[in-house]
Amino acid sequence: MTLSAANVSVGSKAPVRTHTLTRTDLVRYAGASGDFNPMHHDEVKATGAGQPSVFGHGMLTMAFVGSAVVDYVGLENLKTFSVRFAKQTWPGEVLSTKVVVSGLRTESGVMMVDLTVSVANDAGEVKVTGVASAVVQR
Amino acid sequence: MTTVAKNEAGLKSLIGTVTSRSVVVVERGPVGEFAHAIFDENPIYQTPGAATAAGFAAIPAPPTFSFVMGHWGSFPELQPSDGASLTSIFALVGPHLPPGGLILHGEQSFSFERPIVVGDRLVGTGTLTDAYAKASGDKTMYFIVVETSWREEKTDDAVCSSRFNVIYRV
Repeated sequence: MTLSAANVSVGSKAPVRTHTLTRTDLVRYAGASGDFNPMHHDEVKATGAGQPSVFGHGMLTMAFVGSAVVDYVGLENLKTFSVRFAKQTWPGEVLSTKVVVSGLRTESGVMMVDLTVSVANDAGEVKVTGVASAVVQR
Repeated sequence: MTTVAKNEAGLKSLIGTVTSRSVVVVERGPVGEFAHAIFDENPIYQTPGAATAAGFAAIPAPPTFSFVMGHWGSFPELQPSDGASLTSIFALVGPHLPPGGLILHGEQSFSFERPIVVGDRLVGTGTLTDAYAKASGDKTMYFIVVETSWREEKTDDAVCSSRFNVIYRV
């Protein structure tokens, strides 16, 4: 189901994606991205550096909410996607996406949707916040 | 001039510097594995049939893939001769930053002309586009912004661009 002019209005919400983060997830993302910063996979180094444990890649959290955006607008329609990294993510946390329509506009005859996006844990601590925009097919 | 102002002026003198130039090939295996790694089981990232049924020319990549694709697809024999002579971003800004700071990824943006798809050969050019300092309590935060534009190697058509905002807190 792709977004269309008939089924979108300000305040509309995309389906939520939820995921419980594991250390294995961090290892898999390290391999898939080439980001081998030991803070994301080496518990000994992470705790030695004063961290409570290894922690998640910010770009993994961004990608996670990116999937929720794509589920909603369709990959071919996505025009911009930006986030600010607010807090670290930790193994064991239940992360959920939030994607809400903040505006609708017409740009050169094309209908566009603006979205606010975020990821939070189940205690409500926000990990990333951002915005995205996409073309709405009529 | 204070040390911070001097550092900031040094960083600002780097605005406009091209920090990277590379050719990247987008392949099916890395795209599919990246999708699994971000918990996205959308079949468009895995099978050509699902991708073409959804209207894509080939298997597309998730929106943040351009951030990591150089890890997989920047084969040495494809690199432009002027790419290797460029200094890495950290080597470039290092002389203008005091030691002992913490590097943080502050913000990340992407803009898209079209999705990246398997089979693409893309040329990426990274440019240091902004630098500034801000006080943060008793510390200083130095912000460095690098923008990378990705274009088709054959046609020079723009595909997407990304903006990377790194904070050095010291």
